[in-house]
Amino acid sequence: MSRPRKDPRAERAAQRVAGATRPRFDLARTPETATSGRPRRDPRAEERLALVPGTLRRRLDRTRRAGEAAIPAPQPLATPAPDAPALRRIPEPAFLVALVPDAPGGRLTPHDRQLFGAARLLADAGGGAVVALVDPAADDLAAAGADRVLTLPVSGYDPEGKALALDAALAALGLRHLLFPESAEGGDLARRVAALSGEALFAGAESLTAKAVTRAAHGRRTEQRGAPPTLISLAPDAVAPHAGTLHEALPVAFAFPATTGGAILAAEFVAADPARVSLAEADFVTSAGNGVSDFETFRALIAALGATPGASRMVCDAGLMPRAAQVGASGTVLDARCYFALGIAGAPQHLQGVAKCEHVVAVNTDLHAAMIERAGLAIVADAQEVMPALLRLIAEEASA
Amino acid sequence: MRIAVLLSAGRHAVSGRPAPVPVELQAVGLAADFVERHGADLTGLHAGPDVGPLRDALGHGLPNLVHLVTGADDDPLPSLAAALREGAFDLILAGRVAQGGEDSGLLPYALARALGLPIVSDAAALAPGETPGTLNVEQALPRGARRRLLVRLPVLVTVHPAAPAARPFAFAGARRGILETRPGLAAPRASTGLEERPYRPRPKLIAKAAAGASAAERLKAATEAASGGGRLLVDPPPEEAAREILAYLAGIGVVAKR
Ligand SMILES: Cc1cc2nc3c(=O)[nH]c(=O)nc-3n(C[C@H](O)[C@H](O)[C@H](O)COP(=O)(O)OP(=O)(O)OC[C@H]3O[C@@H](n4cnc5c(N)ncnc54)[C@H](O)[C@@H]3O)c2cc1C
Ligand SMILES: Nc1ncnc2c1ncn2[C@@H]1O[C@H](COP(=O)(O)O)[C@@H](O)[C@H]1O
Repeated sequence: MSRPRKDPRAERAAQRVAGATRPRFDLARTPETATSGRPRRDPRAEERLALVPGTLRRRLDRTRRAGEAAIPAPQPLATPAPDAPALRRIPEPAFLVALVPDAPGGRLTPHDRQLFGAARLLADAGGGAVVALVDPAADDLAAAGADRVLTLPVSGYDPEGKALALDAALAALGLRHLLFPESAEGGDLARRVAALSGEALFAGAESLTAKAVTRAAHGRRTEQRGAPPTLISLAPDAVAPHAGTLHEALPVAFAFPATTGGAILAAEFVAADPARVSLAEADFVTSAGNGVSDFETFRALIAALGATPGASRMVCDAGLMPRAAQVGASGTVLDARCYFALGIAGAPQHLQGVAKCEHVVAVNTDLHAAMIERAGLAIVADAQEVMPALLRLIAEEASA
Repeated sequence: MRIAVLLSAGRHAVSGRPAPVPVELQAVGLAADFVERHGADLTGLHAGPDVGPLRDALGHGLPNLVHLVTGADDDPLPSLAAALREGAFDLILAGRVAQGGEDSGLLPYALARALGLPIVSDAAALAPGETPGTLNVEQALPRGARRRLLVRLPVLVTVHPAAPAARPFAFAGARRGILETRPGLAAPRASTGLEERPYRPRPKLIAKAAAGASAAERLKAATEAASGGGRLLVDPPPEEAAREILAYLAGIGVVAKR
């Protein structure tokens, strides 16, 4: 990276021929000790180090944190594989911390994982164990941080039955804490359990440690703070999810009392109509940018894919799409699972709106567009040709 | 059929002045629509020391409001429970959470428990059921989905902000509306034992970027692909591009697999 800095004056002085009346220099002679001692920067080597490997475009990471990690340091051969997390067993827990994840369809949401993080925080402070109370058996509870798993006896939409089961478990198992996510379903359940058990609920905790929890009250004007009570519901993005150790997720049995049918006579799930849901709530957004000129086909494609329409600011400014469809910093920040960008360059203001999307598909004629780099599936092609081809393929599959 | 709407003394989200809670005005709107279409008695209920700006609810479609006068530090639960029991209401509407009080959304649940009523949360629309004595409730779920529930009356229902917008204020309605004042029950609130101090917003967790990362890293985490280095197809024929895209979308489950 750096080599000794040359000192031209010292070099010159070393070449001087001694003894002459006029100053004479023997330039053929190489000086022995002519360096100043200060190191000299080598910008080319620095740049080589800062180059981020594995990207399509040449990218430099000046902070060099990633660069240093990417250069393989000479390592002893006998290092253990770092990827297998250690299994931690808690055979005789001092107390139990239970949590009730939403886990729609048996898959933990990010909010659920944060709930596990909070439960581990409370349990690890005193040698306790985490019990996950789930209704369909959810996946990877061991990696999420559950020591024990208890399956609740519920079928269909029956929050009252679930609350009664939880209330029974709370009393019988002597749970020190029972945690819920402050989501639509988890929040409802938490309040039902609070009303049933007569325990106070600490609703919407915004920070949580083993010693104190806080929440907002009085129209977010005051903050209430206290030691963690039995029932807590946790606001989203308040606690980091658990990472590092693997836990046992041992199934445990518990005799729940039998419940009778509640007041809900029938429940029917109605999926969202993608054309009508607001952009902030949408699950799958398809967006048009300045590279789309054929809006008839774009609208047909949206209807065929069952996506919520979005657009870049250029398109909204031109009046080709309503302002409500604008995605980005000055439009809507999406919470979607998948984003499909047609002819969008990917300006930072636009990418901010897509930051939370897990999957991105981009079609753009420009190989160097930022959107192409952001995408999980990037297609360098003309959107005006890909859109009709997609429509044809969907029609073909529908008829087949 | 008799409908009651519970109104709490709210505070404006920005100015902090006393104001009705928006979602409770939406509940008033839902109830007023129900009354116009299917006929019913509608009453608002508030327990507290003062009605203040809740009188405005009369202008948003509420024909009469009952104010149960309690002390400033009294628990509204016993007064409300007594009034609701006496009124023999079939449908009780409340907001999801209040804004300006404890803001925990617990009161409707505690009230349902005290009255022995079932409770249904997050209603966005109401309609009478096919058989008498039942009610169709459309429950708002995250991501714009809905759940249609058929429940037996009497029931307590909390209203979700996804319900239709509140009716605009009408001065004539506010003048026509009747405000009735009754004494409530004194019930000193038990101390929560929580320490209170001015609210301080806390930073939200930012996904992926570690704590203490530089601004450049946080921007990178916010704008770069989650999985890093996706698949790239340069100038494929449109048919192949379409196949690839559809297969990818079906793979993550946003379009149906065929
Ligand atoms: C304060 C501020 C706030 C802003 N907020 C937002 C915001 O919230 N949302 C937002 O979107 N923008 C916002 N912008 C604007 C933003 O900076 C960009 O100007 C804008 O996002 C660019 O839109 P675009 O990608 O559609 O258009 P362009 O930048 O014109 O990009 C068009 C892309 O389409 C490609 N293309 C061209 N022809 C085709 C074709 N036939 N097939 C496929 N691809 C093709 C091109 O290669 C190019 O990459 C904001 C700007 C400012 C200054
Ligand atoms: N003092 C009160 N009088 C009447 N209704 C109330 C009162 N306090 C709360 N409510 C109702 O209960 C809901 C939830 O309140 P809270 O539990 O305080 O968040 C509110 O939206 C109101 O509908």
